[in-house]
Amino acid sequence: MQINEQLIAGIVAQVMQELANAPAASTAAVDYSKDMTLADKGPAQRGTNPKEVVIGIAPAFGKTMNYTIKKLPHSQVLREIIAGIEEEGCVARVVRVVRTSDVGFVGNYAAKLAGSGIGIGLQSKGTTVIEHKDMTPLTNLELFPLAPLVTLPLYRAIGRNAARYAKGDNPDPVPVILDQTVLPIYQPTAVLLHNRETSEVVFNAEHRDVEFKFSN
Amino acid sequence: MAYEDKTFKTKRFQVLAEKPVNRHSYLKDWPEKGLTAFQGVKDPKPSIKIENGVVVEMDGVARADFDMIDQFIADYYIDKSVAEEVMAMDSLKIARMIVDICVPREEIVRLAKGLTPSKFVDVVTRLDETEIMMGIHKMRARKIPAIQCHTTSATDNPVQLAADAAENRLRGFSEAETTVGVAPIAPFNAISILIGGQTPHVGLLTQCAIEEALELELGMRGMTTYAETVSVYGTERVFADGDDTPWSKAFLAAGYASRGIKLRFTSGSGSEVQMGYADGRSMLYLETKCIMITKGAGVQGLQNGSISCCGIAMSVPSGVRSVHAENLITAMCDLENASGCDQIFSPSDLRRAARTFPLVIAGTDFIFSGYGGVPNYDNMFAGANFDAEDFDDYLVIQRDLTVNGGLVPVTEEQTIAVRNRAARAIQAVFKEFGFPEITDEEVEAATYSHGSKDMPPRSIREDINAAQDMMKKGITGLDLIKALIKHGFEDIAANLFQMMKHKVTGDLLQTSAIVTAENQVLSAIGDMLNDYRGPGTGYRLEEDTETWEKIQRIPQEIDPETYES
Repeated sequence: MQINEQLIAGIVAQVMQELANAPAASTAAVDYSKDMTLADKGPAQRGTNPKEVVIGIAPAFGKTMNYTIKKLPHSQVLREIIAGIEEEGCVARVVRVVRTSDVGFVGNYAAKLAGSGIGIGLQSKGTTVIEHKDMTPLTNLELFPLAPLVTLPLYRAIGRNAARYAKGDNPDPVPVILDQTVLPIYQPTAVLLHNRETSEVVFNAEHRDVEFKFSN
Repeated sequence: MAYEDKTFKTKRFQVLAEKPVNRHSYLKDWPEKGLTAFQGVKDPKPSIKIENGVVVEMDGVARADFDMIDQFIADYYIDKSVAEEVMAMDSLKIARMIVDICVPREEIVRLAKGLTPSKFVDVVTRLDETEIMMGIHKMRARKIPAIQCHTTSATDNPVQLAADAAENRLRGFSEAETTVGVAPIAPFNAISILIGGQTPHVGLLTQCAIEEALELELGMRGMTTYAETVSVYGTERVFADGDDTPWSKAFLAAGYASRGIKLRFTSGSGSEVQMGYADGRSMLYLETKCIMITKGAGVQGLQNGSISCCGIAMSVPSGVRSVHAENLITAMCDLENASGCDQIFSPSDLRRAARTFPLVIAGTDFIFSGYGGVPNYDNMFAGANFDAEDFDDYLVIQRDLTVNGGLVPVTEEQTIAVRNRAARAIQAVFKEFGFPEITDEEVEAATYSHGSKDMPPRSIREDINAAQDMMKKGITGLDLIKALIKHGFEDIAANLFQMMKHKVTGDLLQTSAIVTAENQVLSAIGDMLNDYRGPGTGYRLEEDTETWEKIQRIPQEIDPETYES
């Protein structure tokens, strides 16, 4: 498992390198629904590695939906969060939560499965939360409610902070950009995306381990 | 963004794309998910069956298959003595009765007691926008309309809140609602607007929207006089997500009533679809269920008009009309209606006006719930549809249309006087209880401020500690009154005491209660019940000569007789 993660991290780094070197025109042509594979590995068990942070992805993430509300590809968002976790010397595991689309619950289930007790909840529209296993689902360590304002560097910072909590640190929260005017602008699209996500919810379904692979 | 990041080849399309109206998104109906004004694929057909005084079928669902919302409505809303009569009537006929000035309000109220959720929707969707407004004009509970404001501060500054509450009351608001930037400061925000609000004269009802248990405690301690943010929902799943049922909400309502505290529930189109659980039912159908739950719970009123889901309801075709229809249904249920117009949904001035002015003209119990009494950057309810920078537009439009929209013109001198006195009163109260000092510099700044950006910095950490300490010590509204008297604010103390007395007598529990500057409680009973029956009846601003005179005399008016030339 550990080796596998490191291997992937290596691949990710290589891919990032290649991406950075690639000409702009070709990146624009990438089909982001195809550059990440999320393979089902069976029911998720509670982890034992105290350095493990679980990223709980909501039912449609990278499956029937591929972009956040800000049109960030899910593949890039997931990559950034994983990179942030690994930068802090921790290990990322991805688990798909199918029984709810509520970001608080997704994050809380992820935290309960994580060896460290720290989980990240990630909705397809990009709303993100950092949870601790002993918190109630409606409370959190950090919440990023306005997905239209969350950028790729911020997703990386969210991964980093989750890892810091896992190590027992008390990091400064990732700065939340608050701009109340974006709420009405994006509210209709947010509802559209949330209903798409909720369509994939299966009542009482078990959480599934996910093997992630990035292809470019 | 309507066009997201699209760019256009033609300059005109580019200009249009950049207009404020396109800083909102527009959605095609998605009836399968209930993302539709009133045409959900699973909206049921109206029906009712009553056996031995029990509803055994409602809107095509047998009693055995009722969810908890159906059961609550069937048992506590539906009046079995009228249900069969009205359910047998043609919906078009009922719709026509609503706009018919020869059919009195009480007859519609009687019939509405027997309507099922689907029948309500079937009736009101036969009305066009003008007819909906005619209906609201007739069905509104209180004879005189009123208006509520948001009084909040981005920095939770108590001096600024007291001064703004005083100015808001002076400008004519009958209720002021505050909330918090940071939760633990809530008790200070509550007492700041409580005291500030009684400064120009008696009568401003005040509330602090916060977590339910604390909100109730603030009311019981005498730090608020009403409550509003008790939310109800139209699907079982969304209700259950909040660990609530219609019964638990009714129980909470009884807690407020036990202390004579005015209460209304809150709901609004779009909340269920926002949570992803509208179950293929339209926004109006589900909102109708919320209205009926409110009535069934015995609560006197409801805040709706989409409220915080306004951006969703206004994104689909007929969104505004449908939200106005939910206001009408609320009035038909003989509930006080605080009709929304509150959350910002579009920066387009034309759309803001189109959504709001029909209700201003028709008049509702509270046209806004609320109007931003502070500039929008200070609005802690996520920004208001109208804010303090729209005061003059609103005043002029009232004057243009001969409409009492609830505001009156004020002079700068009056405003300075009440802002300063409110700021000094809260300064004295803070001194009395040993709370963090409010300096003369802060009083001065609050007197002349527009918003929190004009205020000197203040330690919120120290204010939070003191607010928590105040709660621990068991300080109540009566202690505040004593402190005001001790420091020479007998007038404000006396006004605050009058508000406490209204709670003891239970006067604020009547439908649509407000308190006038003369300390009279106006509610929808006796001669204050709306008695509109067509031209020459009901509340008419020109017959309310004192108010009409005030509304006409905006300070910037030029007198042709004395104009220098």
